[in-house]
Amino acid sequence: MPHTPQAPLFVREMGLPTRFALYLLFCLLLLALDARYSTLAWLRGGLNTLLHPIQRVLAAPWEWSQDVAGFFITHGELKRDNDRLREERDRMRIAQQDRQTLLSENNNLRQLLALPARPDAAPRVVEIVQTVPSPFSRKVIINRGQAHGLEAGSPVVDAVGLVGQVTRSYPLTAEVTLLTDRDQGAPVQILRNGLRLIVSGTGSDRLLEVRFLDMHADIKEGDLLYTSGIDGTYPAGIPVAQVVKTEPPRNTPFARAYCRPLGGVGRYRHVAVLQPALKSAPDKP
Amino acid sequence: MSLAKPLLPQGAALAAPATRAKVMSTLFAALCLTLLPWADGLRWLLPDLTLMVLLYWCIHAPRLAGLGIAFALGLLTDVTHGLLLGLDALAYCGAAFVALMVQKRLEGFDVPRQTLQLAPLLLGKEALVLTLGLAFGRGEADWRYLAAGLLAALLWLPLAMLLDRVAGRPVPESEHS
Repeated sequence: MPHTPQAPLFVREMGLPTRFALYLLFCLLLLALDARYSTLAWLRGGLNTLLHPIQRVLAAPWEWSQDVAGFFITHGELKRDNDRLREERDRMRIAQQDRQTLLSENNNLRQLLALPARPDAAPRVVEIVQTVPSPFSRKVIINRGQAHGLEAGSPVVDAVGLVGQVTRSYPLTAEVTLLTDRDQGAPVQILRNGLRLIVSGTGSDRLLEVRFLDMHADIKEGDLLYTSGIDGTYPAGIPVAQVVKTEPPRNTPFARAYCRPLGGVGRYRHVAVLQPALKSAPDKP
Repeated sequence: MSLAKPLLPQGAALAAPATRAKVMSTLFAALCLTLLPWADGLRWLLPDLTLMVLLYWCIHAPRLAGLGIAFALGLLTDVTHGLLLGLDALAYCGAAFVALMVQKRLEGFDVPRQTLQLAPLLLGKEALVLTLGLAFGRGEADWRYLAAGLLAALLWLPLAMLLDRVAGRPVPESEHS
């Protein structure tokens, strides 16, 4: 044994390869547990709570600089914005009136048909504080978590359409998997004819796809896709995507359709979290 | 691992022995640097500073930075990445193991030669993370992340010199000539 600093006089520990093998085994065990059974949420949550304050402190100077930069806006810009917003508010109000009458009409019709009432979703505005630095997934971190009553499975939307879903809820933050993640899918309906489909992410920010499409399915370029609400996660009627291209079956028996997400999946800073749609139990006869 | 008094420190270790405080503080600083809110477009180019500092200490103070610290750092990195728990821990342990295996040789080389020896290690770590992610079915890997490994190899020279200053290690004779 050479004289290295802090070297014990007598070696009474496992050799390096043995220790490495043990760590390797433990890592593989963790990987398998996390990948197959997702039972490590507590460990992840705990470590995340440990790191969260550090991340907040590190991000603070950046946020301040943004605030300071935002302070120096010209008067003209503010006025222009104000005018535009006022105009938009008036338009929204008119649309809102329309919505109220439609909602009450819809409720009446639902009562007439003896259908269960639509779940009421109160949105909660949250801020995206961080994107997840991983080469694999399309995920972001938002600034609300379990402490604010957020749970995994809540849909996330922006002003225009669906953005994704809360997949992990930590004590103070939560992780949102974007619609464009390869593992995400959303059940949708075509607005034109009510055809039910499943749209999935491709890993690209601007493209979604419908993978296993019937050869004769009635789907055309320009069709709008809305959530169908039959999965118990997304409430019905949220705009999701617009079909850009359909592809006839080539080597497989299935056709494919490519769509463009409507919501700003990779763009905005603020998004809204909705209550997860409740699974509507089948009516008793 | 016991922390008995140094038996017979020599050379650099005698002039400025690496202490646990130095190792921990530099590792913590490196971890903080990677936790900074980097721009999204540059993520794939961001070298793994934590691993580089870890390797530096594996080479210069193998009694203080070993597999255990590599594992703990890997777990913390995993949580920030939100991917699979144990993925980066495995990669860090592997890199630390290889570095500790050839520690004597690496310690003897000057920094530019160390770069050549460590480049495959730094690049291999990125490749291992990408490959394992693929193997565990996390969708498509973004292979641009390999560039981070190359950049890490390029940054080894300035980083090692900076850490030499921080640790107060005397500049080896060979660098004067």
